[in-house]
Amino acid sequence: MQRLERLSAWVFGLSFLFLALAVAVETVMRKVFNKSLQGVDELGGYVLAVGAALSFAIALRERTHIRIDVVHERLPKALRVLLNALALPSLTACAAAIAYMAWFALGDTIQFNATAQTPWATPLRYPQTAWVMALCVFVLFALVETVVMLFTLLTGRFADMDRRYGPRGAKDELDEELADLKARGVVEVGGANGGGRS
Amino acid sequence: MSMIAIGITGFLVMVGLMLLGLPIAAVMLLLGLVGGMMAFGLAFFQSAASVVWGVLSDNNLTSIPLFVLLGELLLRSGMADRMYTVFAAWLGRLPGGLLHTNIGCCALFAATSGSSVATAATIGTVALPSLKKNGYPMSDSLGSLAAGGTLGIMIPPSINFIIYGSMTNTSVGKLFIAGIIPGLALAGLFMVWIYISHSMRREKVAVIEVPWDERVRLLRYLFEPLVVFGVVMGTLYGGIATATESAALGLVVAMVFVIAQGKLSVALLENCFLSSAKTTGMILLIVVGAFVLNLALSLTGIGEALTKWATGFGLGRVQLLLVLIVFYLILGMFMDTLSMMVATIPLAFPVVSAAGVDPIWFGVFIVLMCELGLITPPVGMNLFVVQGIRPDNGPVADVIRGALPYAIIMILFAVLLIAFPAIATWLPTAMRG
Repeated sequence: MQRLERLSAWVFGLSFLFLALAVAVETVMRKVFNKSLQGVDELGGYVLAVGAALSFAIALRERTHIRIDVVHERLPKALRVLLNALALPSLTACAAAIAYMAWFALGDTIQFNATAQTPWATPLRYPQTAWVMALCVFVLFALVETVVMLFTLLTGRFADMDRRYGPRGAKDELDEELADLKARGVVEVGGANGGGRS
Repeated sequence: MSMIAIGITGFLVMVGLMLLGLPIAAVMLLLGLVGGMMAFGLAFFQSAASVVWGVLSDNNLTSIPLFVLLGELLLRSGMADRMYTVFAAWLGRLPGGLLHTNIGCCALFAATSGSSVATAATIGTVALPSLKKNGYPMSDSLGSLAAGGTLGIMIPPSINFIIYGSMTNTSVGKLFIAGIIPGLALAGLFMVWIYISHSMRREKVAVIEVPWDERVRLLRYLFEPLVVFGVVMGTLYGGIATATESAALGLVVAMVFVIAQGKLSVALLENCFLSSAKTTGMILLIVVGAFVLNLALSLTGIGEALTKWATGFGLGRVQLLLVLIVFYLILGMFMDTLSMMVATIPLAFPVVSAAGVDPIWFGVFIVLMCELGLITPPVGMNLFVVQGIRPDNGPVADVIRGALPYAIIMILFAVLLIAFPAIATWLPTAMRG
């Protein structure tokens, strides 16, 4: 799963980097040479659809889908565990719903042989097939995480339910940022410190 | 039950479920889907499918991952880190010295990185020891960091504006331009407050003297962030590029800097890709949820009924907006700001449009309300983040006390914005394209 997540992140990042390059070239060509490479904006839409689906999956594994913790952390433990147990299935339901919608849209597209309303007239079945596949990654991640969570719940490890499946507070996010800051090397405050003594 | 009763009950149920700690995006999406399918059955599912494809293949929203990736690249490559040193050297001599540095630096850092958590972590870690050593009261220091970090969502590029633009069919480029003056004005007001309060109290803080040649030498560190910012805003303002195109141009320029500085590595890329995917997924799933919910509201007629009901009170533009300030102040105390914005736009936007409020102006207003939500307790993201990095283990009340004056300034600024709408609308009308 770890490897699939990393792979998804690379596909996500590289496709947007290349898209940015294409869009930048197109924009410069259009303005400077008055020549337009048509269809780059259309491509941007398709990259977004696939990239978004992958990012849903990654955000799920990294637990960044927002949950509000202010009331949650003050609830009695039993209720807290219950809500944590409901959070992942609710996201799984979303994943399933969106994937089913995509499947549905693809079915329609194939049936009517729909093409995009653009100069390229792309047959929509190709980008939508990629979209459905990326959404399958989301569903897969959601299902696996849910099964692991249910296993934790059914074996009665309630402390784990709180720690691993509770809302991520500001604290968790901050710790990550601080770790990254340390890795970048803390900046020296030469001017500020040196000046303070004078 | 009347439409209005259903609508209001639905809204309360939604906010209730969100507060209990269920994922925001899931609450909106599932509530919209269940509500819509109860009314229209499978037909709703079909329309939802085409709406979701429409949203996720909308090239305007492509700017979100691009800007997020741009911010991550500037942040993780360390290009934004040295801004503090520059600001400290230039602003350190004013009364309130380093506190001005906090405001200016947080504003710029938050605008370029797009993350208030990363801003507080980076600037706070660098600034707090130096503030403490130079004798600044802790609550003042923490308050200025928390408030400065909020400016990032007003000063472009701002994800909040992109989402507002896509939900209300408003030009994102114009929204970005509209945010510049209010963002800078707010930063200015914060600094005026620091100046006045510190001149009056005459606290003993060490004055920082940096020689001029050193100051000029330090300016070099602003080069990369400012060039990226200039490319993004320049192409937008000149009408040369759309928001997505300017994001792409900014990203390419930032990439060139990363390569030129020899910082490009597999580890850096993976770090950036993973963090930006995390953030993008979080944002876009909420957007998808909001669109499905919006579809249910409009197809069932609940949205229209609520708009009619709200306009039926016959509130004038000013009264309506003052009510909204109170509404958002209260909601912002408990809700995450992005979710608050996305969940309320479908209801608030038609009402204010009916009252003749300019859509660009309202975008600025709603983002200002989000900024306020970031520093109002009990749920003010920036309060907690700043509390998390303080070097001493004082109570969170210090941060709240320190941030309070800035919250009041924001509310006053909202009133000012209502009285003089041109603060937000003048620059976008002056731009080309």
